Amino acid sequence: MLSFVRFLFAFTIGSHILLVCTSIALVVLISVAEFISIRKHDQVYEALARRLAKVFVISFAVGTASGIVMAVELVGLFPSFMTLVASTGAIVLLYAEVSAFFLEVLALVLYVYYWNAFKGRYTHWILSIFMATGTLGSAVFITMVNAWMNTPAGFDISGFVSSGFTTVSGVQPYAAFLTASTADQVFHVLVTTIFAGSMVIGAYFAFWFIRSRDAEDRAMYSRALKILGAIAVITIIVSGLTGSKEMGTLLVNQPLKYAALDGNPVNGTNFPDRFFGTVVGNSYVGGFSIPGMQSFLAQFETGIAQLPGLSQFPASDWPPLFVNLTFNLMTIGGVALGVFFLVYFLALVTRRRPYESRRVLYLWIPAAVVAIIVYQLGWATDEVGRQPWIVYNVMTVAQAANTSDALLVPGIIIVAFYLMVVPLTFYLYARVFRRKAEAMA
Amino acid sequence: MNGIFEVNFAAFSVFAALLITEIMGAVVLLIAWPARAKVLDYLVPVWEVTGTFGAFWVVTGDFAYPALLVPVASLFAPLLVVFVMLWVARSAAISFAEFIAKRGWLDEGKLYRAYALSTIVIGVVVLVLLSSLVGGQGVDLATGSFSLASWATAGSMAFILGTLLLGVGFAPVFFDLPSLKGYVLPLAGGGVVLSVFSYWLMSSALVTWWMSVPVLLTLLAGVLYLWPKTARVVTNKGVFLAVLCVIIFSLQFLVYPAAVGQALNIDAVTTTGAMADAFTSVTVVGASLLAVMLILYVRIASKGPSGPDFP
Repeated sequence: MLSFVRFLFAFTIGSHILLVCTSIALVVLISVAEFISIRKHDQVYEALARRLAKVFVISFAVGTASGIVMAVELVGLFPSFMTLVASTGAIVLLYAEVSAFFLEVLALVLYVYYWNAFKGRYTHWILSIFMATGTLGSAVFITMVNAWMNTPAGFDISGFVSSGFTTVSGVQPYAAFLTASTADQVFHVLVTTIFAGSMVIGAYFAFWFIRSRDAEDRAMYSRALKILGAIAVITIIVSGLTGSKEMGTLLVNQPLKYAALDGNPVNGTNFPDRFFGTVVGNSYVGGFSIPGMQSFLAQFETGIAQLPGLSQFPASDWPPLFVNLTFNLMTIGGVALGVFFLVYFLALVTRRRPYESRRVLYLWIPAAVVAIIVYQLGWATDEVGRQPWIVYNVMTVAQAANTSDALLVPGIIIVAFYLMVVPLTFYLYARVFRRKAEAMA
Repeated sequence: MNGIFEVNFAAFSVFAALLITEIMGAVVLLIAWPARAKVLDYLVPVWEVTGTFGAFWVVTGDFAYPALLVPVASLFAPLLVVFVMLWVARSAAISFAEFIAKRGWLDEGKLYRAYALSTIVIGVVVLVLLSSLVGGQGVDLATGSFSLASWATAGSMAFILGTLLLGVGFAPVFFDLPSLKGYVLPLAGGGVVLSVFSYWLMSSALVTWWMSVPVLLTLLAGVLYLWPKTARVVTNKGVFLAVLCVIIFSLQFLVYPAAVGQALNIDAVTTTGAMADAFTSVTVVGASLLAVMLILYVRIASKGPSGPDFP
């Protein structure tokens, strides 16, 4: 039953993430599109922002409802963990998240339903900033909870563990806002989320730009792609930098996870970056490696020369070692996307309008699939890499989980439900956005 | 006086008031479809806010009563699963209905009716949960279990029926539908009588002089709708919502100082120390932000009609 609990939550959060990353990229795109429409007096950008705002309403509705499913699921699946959350600063983060929701929802309602009530166009645009602040704020606070799970702080950990998880004392509620891993994780998650969402939305526009013969529609798709391309170029660069920084944080705060991700069987110096092999005993077998690269990056980020290895830790604390593979795939996928956008950027500076090039747009669509896989692999690596712990070095997943058989039926219903809701939501995004085009045809 | 309880109950009052107005709208959508314009003009911007207040209530509840989180979730697990599924269905249905163009079998009429049905069932689920929290029906605290069969007492049934009658009775007032004016007082009056009777059936200790506050306010709202001049006051949605919040907030004596049929002392399970201070600080910041946004919302909403003019 524990495996089912793990699968159920992984599946739910994996589905939820798809909705969230498009939602976050949407709000950024809407805000930028409206800003440009005002600056350039461009009606097409304004029409783009208005149509995307409709899609954002659906995205908000389904995303929020899915968030409520997750909240209920967390209590049902991991009751001991949620009791700890409710007794420490982690709940303050959730409370702050609700405040961000309020900002988002009220700004959204005003932005969408009272668009024409604003005489000052910049005043209306400022609402999109509020909306984006609320949306990104929610993501930031929930990522802070995840960072707290990776590097827990703000309560007497040894007292809690020795009491058999019954007594939480020495609570410092605000310590959860800035744990050792918070800043790096939040920054990395934000930029990668915007990147992945931009790629998915861009794939939609790329597809229709290639297919459409309508000049007005193509003008709109081209403008959307122009913005998304710029966002993707910026965020892929920052993703690489923040990802490397996050590995440094991991090295300092979660050395076992670091060793598992990098496939280090034993500790040592002058380590290569290892790819696609397996740890067997005290060696890394198969695959290939880039000599010295791991040590170079670690030294650059943290100044640490002596890198950790799995053998330093009890085998019972090791995460599943396939995290080395997921980490490798994530890294290589990220680098491939980086190369794609390097070419895109070069085309951009040489004024070749890559956002209207059929060759580039044909490539964008599979690149979006890669981006989503890389994004999901990133989360999988982070979560599986923390195993067996749900709260690092405090509480294991097995200790936190509810393994009652009664969860089986509701769990299967939830899986079936997400299998239906996620594709239906994306279908309706597309249908709502293209409503005008259909009406004109 | 328990400030943390008051904040949590205030959040609940706003959530419940918004949900009740949504249920009223859902009833009108089902029984008086031609009057949908008046209903949708209100529902379409507001349904998103309801969910956020719901989340606000739940999170403040988790924060305020950490020791209750798991027992309550275990007790009501089946109800919560049903609630969550319906909530997603309701949100998806209304957001799709809002922007959908008719194609094939799927049109806005079907989606709005799906929204209406799921919202009404959500209301019933919430009422089942609330009646248990008030009277303790169906709840076995010793074993941590909830039985629907034990819950189905005369008190619980009267509680649900009374509240639904109030909802249906006030729908014509809230959406100003004069053609249904004749139903208002009989249904609302019946709802009040049944509700008070249900509290008495649950526990005679619940029926105190405090009960006269919500009863009088409720009846007054119904009576005011009878004359055109006074009807203008009560059909003002801001006024109606504010009065509804006050009525619900005044019902706090049903669960404080003790809930679940007087078996659960609220003060004993409320968070204390540094967490209580943090609760207060974050509430002040969050409430200030919310107040600013609500003032902005009311100012803008009062200037122009909703309804986007999308290209």
